This record gives sequence, structure tokens and C-alpha cells, in this order.
Amino acid sequence: MAEPFMVARDLQKSFNDHKAVNGVSFTIGKNEIFGLLGPNGAGKTTTIRMLSTVLEPDAGEVTIGGFSTHQQPEKVRSLIGVCPQELALYEDLSALDNLMFFGRLVGLSGREAKAQAMSNLALMGLEQRARGKISKFSGGMKRRVNLAIALMGHPQLLFLDEPTVGIDPQSRNNIFETIFDLRKKGMTILYTTHYMEEADRLCNRVAIMDGGKIVVMDTPRALKGQIGDPDKVTLEDVFLKMTGRSLRD
Amino acid sequence: MKRAWIIVLRELRTYLQDKADLAFSLLLPIATFALIYGAFGGQGLFHGTASVVNEDAKGVYSAQLLDDLKAETSLTVETLSRADAEQKLDRSDVKLVLVIPADFSDKLRSGQPAQLIFMQRGNGGQDGQIVASIVRGAVSRLNQDFSVRGQVEQALAGKGVLPQQITVTTWNFLDRERQYPLVGITEVASGSKPNLVNQFLPGIITMYVLFSISISAAAIVEERRKGTLERLLTTRLTVGGLFLGKWLASVSRGFVQTFILLTLSYAVFRIFTPLSFLECLAVALIFAMASSAIGLLIASVARTQDSATWIGVFFTMSMTMLGGTFFTISAGSVLYTISKFSLNTYANDAFKALITEGGTISQVWLELSVMTGVILVGLVLSRYLFKALPQGK
Repeated sequence: MAEPFMVARDLQKSFNDHKAVNGVSFTIGKNEIFGLLGPNGAGKTTTIRMLSTVLEPDAGEVTIGGFSTHQQPEKVRSLIGVCPQELALYEDLSALDNLMFFGRLVGLSGREAKAQAMSNLALMGLEQRARGKISKFSGGMKRRVNLAIALMGHPQLLFLDEPTVGIDPQSRNNIFETIFDLRKKGMTILYTTHYMEEADRLCNRVAIMDGGKIVVMDTPRALKGQIGDPDKVTLEDVFLKMTGRSLRD
Repeated sequence: MKRAWIIVLRELRTYLQDKADLAFSLLLPIATFALIYGAFGGQGLFHGTASVVNEDAKGVYSAQLLDDLKAETSLTVETLSRADAEQKLDRSDVKLVLVIPADFSDKLRSGQPAQLIFMQRGNGGQDGQIVASIVRGAVSRLNQDFSVRGQVEQALAGKGVLPQQITVTTWNFLDRERQYPLVGITEVASGSKPNLVNQFLPGIITMYVLFSISISAAAIVEERRKGTLERLLTTRLTVGGLFLGKWLASVSRGFVQTFILLTLSYAVFRIFTPLSFLECLAVALIFAMASSAIGLLIASVARTQDSATWIGVFFTMSMTMLGGTFFTISAGSVLYTISKFSLNTYANDAFKALITEGGTISQVWLELSVMTGVILVGLVLSRYLFKALPQGK
């Protein structure tokens, strides 16, 4: 693994009596795509919220690019981009205005924000719809705008929380190509998904979470090798073996 | 601070883009102003309508009474049939009707007591009560005429003076006495001239500014509902910057409406001097800041859009009622003590001092201090109580 860019040590977070995250530790190397997998309620989103400074952990610590999320959250925020699971867009604004608004908030000048916004929209195949209102966009287009916003300010670490939920194959493919392209440009990515084939295809390493803990962490091939022939078993087989077949809330 | 301005600009842009919201919020103060103008029309004194059913149409004394009422500059006399009067009372078109019975003049002529009747709905309403007082004054003068004439007739009985001569001489004497009364009243106004616009305008202004509570109360919940709150908090915008931006946007919106209302009042009613106009704008701005700070406090604890709206409405309504917007609260009463906990009270008092009493801004330092305190406490407390996620910290 390359030099660690993000280090999480013994993260813990409880909501009332429920321990959502219970002693999670992992590192992400620079220019790595790290997959965080797990069934519903495993603690993935809470972990991402702690890593991205939205939530403070009850215990444990996180450093990103050498800065502590607790002591230097502003420094950390200047390094990260977050594409949340839910669409976080202003429906009454155009795609361009959405990107420019968040661009200004990550510290870009008006001119820089506009240039980057147009570039990111082009990357997502939306340059023709830059001035269209988000409320008129399809689900797949909204997902792509959601990702384009996360790229404003050229973050060094990108959090992608289920970025391909509920979209058509074309939009999904566009997002995959973008992610590969970003990795080529040196970006570090933390990726969560319920689609195991996505994780297998995209991620250098994956961690499978369940019950607020990481139950297993390695490269997809090594994980598949733990339960059989890596060329025959799938990551989904590994996932089901590690987290069980019982239904989750 | 720079990023707070980005939030303000986005909020105002959204406000300007929503044509319906924009039209409603800008037209509302103009419509309110039109209502004030229509209701009070810039007149300073009371003017009412005396609705009269005259069943003694050919009577001399009923005619005298009506002439006396018509001579009142503050009254317009409207004559109705009894059926019309009853119908209008039923519909609350009028609240009070004076009925002059058919035998009114005959009874007076024969020296018997006569009764006038007030038909009224409830207590007759404020206008009705004033009209009733004016009618009582006219009746009192009529009684005085009869009383003086009776006494003079008695004193001159058997001295060969004709009754008609007594009547004419007595009336001439009373007319002269009314024209040049022995005891007169001179009205000396202090401060600016009080009128109905002056009396109601402070309450209407404060009510408008209080809308800022509901606007800022929904500010954070709205971001949470859209899912943009978390995203905002992962940018370089601090929570303090977010709150400052939301607060300033809410202040701007609340202040714009008040600015329109005050400017129209300044231009049409001429109740301000240029200086008092600017002083009122300053008070309105500080009040908008305090109201928005309360709204932000609600925003920091409200978890849903509905709860933010209802808490905002509760604060707005209770403060409007307690702050003396619609009625005067007597000093020393329990309500007066409670009203001191309402922000509206201080704003109302400040506006009244400036608009109604012709005071200056230096005379409302206490009110301004209280509102400034609310701004500081509201902003600090809302930041302290805020949680990015309902369960989180």
C-alpha cells in the first residue's frame, strides 16, 4: 500500500444506547480506491460522517493528509470532497449554480468556480444542461451532478457514499469512468456501495463492516481467495459469508 | 464572513427567483398599506355615521335633534327605515342605530318625558359608542333647552309675557351661551399629532418584522430536508458562517417588507420627519435582527419542517398578542408583567415613542439594549444548541 493518506484509529460512535460504530480502524493509501462495504445499518455512513468532519467520534481519532479531524477540521475540509448518499442539491438552482455555489464555499473565486463547474459538468456529460434547473433533471443526471459537486476544489480525498444508487446503466458507466479517471489523476477515494461487482471492479482494497465493526479487510482478490478460488467465487459470496444471510433493517 | 455572504447571496437569489414568494412578500406590505390608507385615509379625527330611524318624521323636536346631529362635523347622519335598520344590524353592517319614536315630539310638547332608543349589536362597537356619546350630548342640549325654558316660564308666569316670546328669547340666550361658553376647553397637543395611523402603524410594523422568526426558523431544517446540510458542513463553511449567513438573509427579507411599509407611510401619511424616518428604519433593522436570532434559535432545535413552522407561529402569535400590537396593555396588570418577556413589547414601545410620541432614538435606548441582548443571546445559544444530525453532536 502507498503511504497512508487517511488514518482512522479505533473510531466509536453511539446514538443513545445503540453503538453504531464500534472500534473501526483502517488506513487508505494515497491514490487508492478503498471500498467500505456492509449491509444496511453496518455503520458505513456514520463512519463516513466522522471521517468527513460532520460528526465527532465519541472515541478514536482520524487524520487526513496529516491533519486531525478533531483539531483541524477546516484543514481537513480543504482536502476532502463528499458525495453523500442522498442527493444534496438545490432543486431550484441550475446545475451550474449548484456547482458554483459549493465551489465558492470550498474557497474558489467566482471565476475559478465557474471554470471548474463547467469542466466538471463536461466530465459528467452535462455541459449542455449546465443552465437547466435541477428540478427538471432525471435521477441519473442528478446523481452525476451530485458527484460533480464533490469534485469542486479538486479534493485530494473523495468520499463516495453509494453514488450509483437508482440510476441507469449509462449514468453508472459514466460515473465508473469518472472514478477511474480521477484515480489516474492521483485522487484517493473512499467508496461505499451495495453492489459488490462495483467494488470488485473499482476498489484496490475493501473492508466489510457489520454491526459497527470491520469484519474483514483486504484486496478483493485476497478476500475471494479466503473462501475459495478467486477466479470462481464473487465478492458477494465473501460478503454473504462474512455478514450472514439474515435480513437487516 | 466571506462564506456567510455566499450563503446570504444564495438565499436572496432563491428568494428573487421564486416569483410567487417574491410577489407575495413584496405586495403584502403594499396591500397592508392600502388597507391602512383605506381605513384611516390620513384623517386624524374620528368620523362616524349616525344611523337613525326617525319615526317622528313630522315632529319639530326630532327635526331639531337631527339638525343638531347634522351640525356635528365628526358625524354623517344616515336615515333608515326600521326594517332596513334591523336588517343592517343583523348583518353587522351597522353596530348601533338611534330610534326616535313616533310620539317623541308630542310628548315633549305636552311636557312629558320622552325616550330615545339605541338598538345595538353587542356593545355597539367602538365607533358606535362614540356616536352614542355624541347623540347623548345632543340630547343633553335638548334637555337643557326644555329645562331652562320651563324655569323661565315658571318665573315669568302671570307677568304678561307671551310663551312664544319666552321660547325665542330662551333659545337665543342658549345659542349665544353655546357660541361663547363661560367655561371653554383648549386642546394643546404635545409631541407629534396623534392619529389612528400613528396608533396602529407601530403594531403593524412589528407584526411584519416578526415574520422573520418563521423564515429563519425553517432555514436549517430546510437544508437538512434537502440533504444539503451535511454537504455544507463538509465545505470550508463553518457552522458559525452558516448560521450567520442564514441570519443575515432572514434579516434582509424581514427588513425589506418593513422598509416598504415605512417608506409608503413616510411618503403618503407624512407622519415622519426625515430624521424620525431613519430612526424608525434603524429600530426596524435591530428588531429584524432580534427576531431572526429567535428564529435561528428555533432552527437549531427544530427537527422537522413542521415543528419549525409551528414553533415559529407560536412565538409570532404569542409575541404579537402580548406585545400590545392589537390592544393597549395597562401598566401594573399581570399581562403587563408578562408582556415584558415579549420582544414585541420593546419594539412596539420604541416605535410608539418615535412615531406616536415624537421622541428620538436616544429615548429608546432601553428597548434597543434589550433587542441587542436578544440578538447576542439568540446567535450564541443557537450555535451552541445546533447538532448536524438530530442524534449527533
